[in-house]
Amino acid sequence: MSIVAKVIAQSDQSDRFLSNAELTQLQDFFANGTVRVSAAQKLAANEQKIVDGGSKRFWAQCPKTPSNSGNPQKTSLCQRDQGWYIRLVSYCVLAGNAKPLEDIGLDGMRDMYVSLRVPLANLKVAMRCLKEVAMGLLSSEEAALAGPYFDQLIRAF
Amino acid sequence: MQDTITAAINPADEKGVYLEGDALDQLKKYYQSGTLRVKAANQIGGGAAGIISETVEKSLLYGDITLPGGNMYPTRRYAACLRDLTYFLRYATYAMLAADSSILDERVLNGLKDTYTALGVPIEPTIQAVQVMKEVVTQRVGAEAGQEMDVYLDHIIAGLG
Repeated sequence: MSIVAKVIAQSDQSDRFLSNAELTQLQDFFANGTVRVSAAQKLAANEQKIVDGGSKRFWAQCPKTPSNSGNPQKTSLCQRDQGWYIRLVSYCVLAGNAKPLEDIGLDGMRDMYVSLRVPLANLKVAMRCLKEVAMGLLSSEEAALAGPYFDQLIRAF
Repeated sequence: MQDTITAAINPADEKGVYLEGDALDQLKKYYQSGTLRVKAANQIGGGAAGIISETVEKSLLYGDITLPGGNMYPTRRYAACLRDLTYFLRYATYAMLAADSSILDERVLNGLKDTYTALGVPIEPTIQAVQVMKEVVTQRVGAEAGQEMDVYLDHIIAGLG
């Protein structure tokens, strides 16, 4: 769900046209469309770089973790998931809303990782490392749009 | 409801890919059209009562439908007609903002024809009223935004037909 759909659902709920505040919110969203697109493109183009750089930072802080256990299958699965989270953040940036991250990647996430015996505390560190590397690759405008979704991701672990 | 952004994200996620190429170009166009959409939604929302009055005056008011035996008589049914036309306008405006007609299918058109048939609401004058609403809206929002609203008001007409 995008911010557009969210605001419409909100108005529909109370049987009215969009309020001025809601229209302003949408206007602001549309106005930085170009930055949204460039941020999403950079995340897409640099996914591997962000994952690799993020893993290095993560393992330096947290060496005893499944992705650093010497089992290449585990490492690649963990890094694949990290790449997926970067992709979900890129969807959120384009949608102006955290719903894509919440619906696709956070709902049920804790149960899944507990069952996989991946410590959530470690993942929190890993996600923070992904954010740090990603922020370094984005312009300040792009980072301002993507940062809050990374923060929500970090908070979720 | 679906909107044009979600409609692009969902199939990309099904494939596990980023939004790129045509899908991303479409989003760019949508963002660029945003100011026009917001401005039109503002004008329509602010003038909704006037748009409905003018629509009724130009389509239904002077016909048999408002006389005894007609479906806009008595006042209760006149008011119901105003309410329905306002729904059409509001949901078409939502759809125009979202650049996606699915909210019309879900919230307006689903079962509408059957309901109207059961209530004896004549379809032909309803369609005429929506046709006139297109003109009234275009007069207020201008040709470019009017064209965009036409897409969704036409969608209602097609759903009634």
